[in-house]
Amino acid sequence: MKESEFAIIGGGPGGIAAAIVAAKAGVKVTLLDENERPGGQIYRQFEKGYKVTDSKVLGRDYEKGLELLRQFSSLSDKIRYLNNATVWGIFKSRTLAFARKGTSSSLSFKNLLVATGAYDRPVPLPGWTLPGVFTAGGAQRLVKTERVLPGENILLAGTGPLQLVLAHQILNAGGKIEAILESGNISKNWLRILMGIWGNWDYLKEGWRYLRHIQKAGVPLLRNHIILEVHGDGQVEEAVIAKVDKSWRPKPDTERTVKVDTVCLGYGLVSSTELALLAECEHKYELCLGGYIPVRSESMETTVPGIYAVGDGAGVAGSKVAIEEGRIAGVSIARSLGYISDADASTRIRIFQKHLNKFNRLRRVLDEMSVPGQGLYELAKDDTVLCRCEEITLKEIKKALADGTIQAKDLKRMTRIGMGACEGRMCGPALIEIMRYQPNASPEGPGYLLPRPSIKPIALGVIAASKQEE
Amino acid sequence: MSMVEKRVQKGVERGQQFEIFVDGEKILAYEGETIGAALMAAGRRTLRYTNKYKHPRGLYCGIGLCQECRMVINGVPNTQACQTLATPGCQVETQQREKYSTGLTG
Repeated sequence: MKESEFAIIGGGPGGIAAAIVAAKAGVKVTLLDENERPGGQIYRQFEKGYKVTDSKVLGRDYEKGLELLRQFSSLSDKIRYLNNATVWGIFKSRTLAFARKGTSSSLSFKNLLVATGAYDRPVPLPGWTLPGVFTAGGAQRLVKTERVLPGENILLAGTGPLQLVLAHQILNAGGKIEAILESGNISKNWLRILMGIWGNWDYLKEGWRYLRHIQKAGVPLLRNHIILEVHGDGQVEEAVIAKVDKSWRPKPDTERTVKVDTVCLGYGLVSSTELALLAECEHKYELCLGGYIPVRSESMETTVPGIYAVGDGAGVAGSKVAIEEGRIAGVSIARSLGYISDADASTRIRIFQKHLNKFNRLRRVLDEMSVPGQGLYELAKDDTVLCRCEEITLKEIKKALADGTIQAKDLKRMTRIGMGACEGRMCGPALIEIMRYQPNASPEGPGYLLPRPSIKPIALGVIAASKQEE
Repeated sequence: MSMVEKRVQKGVERGQQFEIFVDGEKILAYEGETIGAALMAAGRRTLRYTNKYKHPRGLYCGIGLCQECRMVINGVPNTQACQTLATPGCQVETQQREKYSTGLTG
């Protein structure tokens, strides 16, 4: 079987940046991307058929990404790019399996970079399974690269700056927003915020631009507010909202109902760690970075030698951080394979690290601002479905907890939570938070729902049609 | 749901327009559009019903992770509407347990 000296999973900013620096150094790179085109979620490109007449509709991030994507495609003779490739397993023999075009193939690797990105933090609340409730990221994809509005009268509920970006995009597309609910408290510590923003002026300018746009459009931005429930017969018809205290618990007598047909939930992002977990990389818990994330060295190597992790999939921090981390991983791997000298690698890594430090300062402040309050995980009621796939309610989870289960993986065995088609992506992060707050919670934390191959539903016929090598 | 135009014209030109069939009914779609987006534009939000409680589910994460948008597309059940591009004349069915009781129909 052929062995790849450097395989990358994920075609977002982190994966692309790593591929570029490694390929330039002479490394033969294979990049597996689940999407049709490189770019990931943030630099997602239009499908064939659309013609962009004004690139402003795609937002500033997209324009910044174009340069990176150009560099990537100019190296196409050095980088083997496999699109529509769903990696569904990583095995001990340094082999990964991926499904592509109706067959499954395996690829063995010397070095592997996991750059799998992140997704919206799922928050179970009554009515969250109704058609018309979207994640903020899902709504954003619809508006940004499909140019379809998710509904007619939209409520944005969540926390953090991504909500403002989405609001700006919906308004720009001519959509109507009823209100934006921000559960956090932004004005807590202005000095810390200022210190974080210092030197990151473009972020500040962009945020300011979005805020002004929202204000000018007359959309109420309600701070210290939360969405409690969504109601509707077969789809969203109204939402119940309330003011919250600093733990995000509703204040008495502040509840009210708003008539909306669409709800976008955006409580920050959580890392996609299924593959790093499958590869048995050690993980640690960091709530504001997206839950359990891989433990890494300064060169972005995980605790499994030769397996690296970068970007939002290794701790949510945005595209700029993903790019610098990707570059560090790419240079480190080029060094370990002997393509560049130790001295050359160290000099370059120092520069990338300096950029990272600047972004990290801002990131810590943004993290602090958007750490979910405990009240967020008290919204679900007994009959609220936590596991959307297997339809397991909070009541069933409470029963298993009352029986003394303190580990997430045991709860999975007892109740089937996390055993459905999404492989625990939608229930896992909330389950961990709910378990953490239990009176009998284990001091080491509840752990995570152990993923199993295949980490995405793959038809047996696809696996049966496996090719020996790729 | 009223028929307010949900397709945004600003900033893009769309490609070829064609029809697709959803539970036998014609709806419009464009080249490059996912089936999920075409359905949202048509105001058709229920993509499947669940096994246990027969609850309706719609487009949720929109990026291929949550598996809520699994529909029967050209006869193949459990196909993600958010990840599948519409093609002229394609047949889309709301996924229900009554019809497809094997596999991942939850």
